[in-house]
Amino acid sequence: MEEKKVHPLVDEAQSALAKGQISRREFLRISTLLGVSLTSANILAACGVTTPTATAVPATAAPTAVPTPTAPAIPRGGVLNVACRVERVSDPAQFSLVSASHPWRHVFEYLTHTDPQGITHPYLLDSWKASDDLLTWTLVLKQGIKFNNGQELTADDVVFNIKRWLDPNTKSSMLSAMSYMDGSGVEKTDKYTVTLHLKNPTIFLPDNLGQYQAAIVPATFGGDITKEPIGTGPFTMVEYVATERAHLKARADYWQMGVDGKPLPYLDEIVMVMLGEDQAAYVSALQSGQVDTILEPTVSTWEAVKDDKRFTIVSTPTAATRVLRLRVDQEPWTKNEVRQALKYCHNREKILQLALQGQGVIGNDTHVTQANPEYAKLDPLPFDTAKSKALLAQAGYPDGVTVELTVASDWPESMAYAQALKEDAAAGGFTINLKTMPASQYWNGWTDFNMGITWWAHRTQALITLGLAYTGDADGKPGAWNESHWVDAEFSQILTEATGTLDLDARKAFALQLEKIQQDRGSICSPFFMDVWKIYTTKVHGVEPSPDEYAIFTETSKEA
Amino acid sequence: MGTENPATAKQIHTAPSAALTALKGYWKSVRDLAQVIFASPTAVIGLTLVILWVLIAVFAPLITTHTPFEQDYKLVNKGPSALHLFGTDDLGRDVWARVAYGARTILLLGPLSVLVAFACGVALGLPAGYYQGWVDEVVMRILDAFMAFPAILLYMIIISAVGASSFNVVIAIAIGGTPGIARLVRALTMDIRTREYVAAAKLCGEPDIIIMLREILPNCRGPLIVDFLLRIGYAAFYIGTLGFLGLGLPPPTPDWGGMVQEGHSHMTTNVWPVLCATLAIVTLVIGLNMFADGLREETMRYQ
Repeated sequence: MEEKKVHPLVDEAQSALAKGQISRREFLRISTLLGVSLTSANILAACGVTTPTATAVPATAAPTAVPTPTAPAIPRGGVLNVACRVERVSDPAQFSLVSASHPWRHVFEYLTHTDPQGITHPYLLDSWKASDDLLTWTLVLKQGIKFNNGQELTADDVVFNIKRWLDPNTKSSMLSAMSYMDGSGVEKTDKYTVTLHLKNPTIFLPDNLGQYQAAIVPATFGGDITKEPIGTGPFTMVEYVATERAHLKARADYWQMGVDGKPLPYLDEIVMVMLGEDQAAYVSALQSGQVDTILEPTVSTWEAVKDDKRFTIVSTPTAATRVLRLRVDQEPWTKNEVRQALKYCHNREKILQLALQGQGVIGNDTHVTQANPEYAKLDPLPFDTAKSKALLAQAGYPDGVTVELTVASDWPESMAYAQALKEDAAAGGFTINLKTMPASQYWNGWTDFNMGITWWAHRTQALITLGLAYTGDADGKPGAWNESHWVDAEFSQILTEATGTLDLDARKAFALQLEKIQQDRGSICSPFFMDVWKIYTTKVHGVEPSPDEYAIFTETSKEA
Repeated sequence: MGTENPATAKQIHTAPSAALTALKGYWKSVRDLAQVIFASPTAVIGLTLVILWVLIAVFAPLITTHTPFEQDYKLVNKGPSALHLFGTDDLGRDVWARVAYGARTILLLGPLSVLVAFACGVALGLPAGYYQGWVDEVVMRILDAFMAFPAILLYMIIISAVGASSFNVVIAIAIGGTPGIARLVRALTMDIRTREYVAAAKLCGEPDIIIMLREILPNCRGPLIVDFLLRIGYAAFYIGTLGFLGLGLPPPTPDWGGMVQEGHSHMTTNVWPVLCATLAIVTLVIGLNMFADGLREETMRYQ
């Protein structure tokens, strides 16, 4: 077996681990991101300061479980009934909601997978390797993986996909997420190997390759997955009726094996039904046994079933939040004093309680939280309406200011947040008029509203979120997802540096600077970060918790 | 100049007695109306319910201990207690206060939207019924187009297009109600225009507008009053429905439909906000309908 030297940064991380500067979990994260297999990373962690060589053992332990004689018998067959949103979709690269990926991630797969502990594994990839300067990444594909039309997955498909994401015409948020490179840096080395040449160093490339927009389609893809449901996933799409249902059937020739040595998945079918916008309907369906699980349950759903023994409930803290964002290119938010004044009008404890019944943590007007490894503690601004008034007067609004806050009426957390803020901000000089609309209408204009509360999903790496939502292109023009149009040169520069920094302490120091900039002159208020739940009947097993709220049923089974 | 004009003197002399006669006339009308109402047990029950809600709306500040906006985040979704008669909602607001102040909202917007709809309906229905011919054809075909839409769908389209606010809810319900009212006014006008007193007015050379407003419209009032009351009930119902669909009055306005919408996701743990708001809508709508039905029965008997 060929032996390879591990990335020098892994040595540094190992030293940091030995000195107690980073946790074992963080060491595993860093090592795996740099291409060390999870097995090897565990050995390295156990060996302390000794630097062994990492072998080219294929990949971090892929999700495929190894058959063991003692493995309990897992039932095969059955239909998993799921209540969730069934979005209108066409191009996965343009997904802007996690829910859009729920049915389709069982048909289309990803190059990498980040587990609930935040450790990124190769998935369709067999391994990856980064150069010492983190500017050249070599991606090696697993061999023998086939699309459901029989065609083999090769480097051509990967090159096609990455180039598509990086093409501005695709209008994918991956373009912002992977702003450290452009399409010209994608190169096919051989049939199963792709080399990426980056403009700026990053260690988050593997994370990005697992984002829900990064589903791998074949190189022949024409732009609409509902017309060409050709993926490498464990299921095929039998029927897809947007806003109604998705029906998936298991493939017989899937590339991953179950613990019984036969190909996954364990389930025969998955039926996903959308029961409208009303969570009460989803709860009723779950309680009556009509469905086995609900995806993306809200806090009221959790409240309704939390003491019911018929269900398994797994709670996970996340970086998911509802961001109150202010268009800094529109009045009155062009003045930082006004933005700051609004931040002082937040009674965060109250908002957390009303919006989430306390099921989350208090936020500090940044987009970084405890669920992110790089989080550095920064106390939130206090609730101080007198300070708010003073700031408004300073900004030229001595008599207060009237603003319109756009809220999606079917997001209960946003509605509760908006109403709590409206009441509290009145004393701080803000007259907030609420403009409500259905979520579908909100998404149609989510980057246009002067002031709105937007649903933001969890991402393990806060720096990825910051890159998506608070940066611009080379000319300073806001990125596709920069809904507040806030681009700050210093912030962008620190973010670029942080993204290429391995040392966690250094990255935390960068993150602290970023947090302070966002808190001091940023464009958002984030009073809380939410817990999320997986809720399913006790007959169902093998559901992976996911702070991202991804629905992954590849290894899920159901008792008869 | 020194002598008093006898005619003026007579006018002055007779003025108090004319006012008295008019007053007596009004009093007689009120008595007749009361007689009609009290002859029908249905109308009495309906009127009692409506008056009850009117009193609650008028005296809301006196009969509640909290404002409808006060939030207590430490008392969220609680049942009835000494502090909160009907408990609190998901934002810790007093349910009774929101119901009582919600009555103001619905009793203001309901009649207002129906009044606007009546103004439009009369303006279109009177000339259509009076002139008939092409005027009738044009007006009625346009109104038919509106009537082709189910009412709630029409409201949703209008509110989605112009946004949710008190004003827009009034406009939406007015637009939705206009065709039905116009049809009713047209039908009544077509009947009344054939009466002798209309022909007499024409012979006297009165202009059409005067004939329509003085001779025809007042004689349509019986069915129109009943329809008005029924429509207030429908309007209350639709305001509630729009609130439930998230298209009603923007929060935190106390709005019964909005209360049901906000509370229904917590129904398994706290049923009080939904129950109270629903009962409020039901009793008001039933009250208005019973009142209108009772009036209709009695007026038809007289006819």
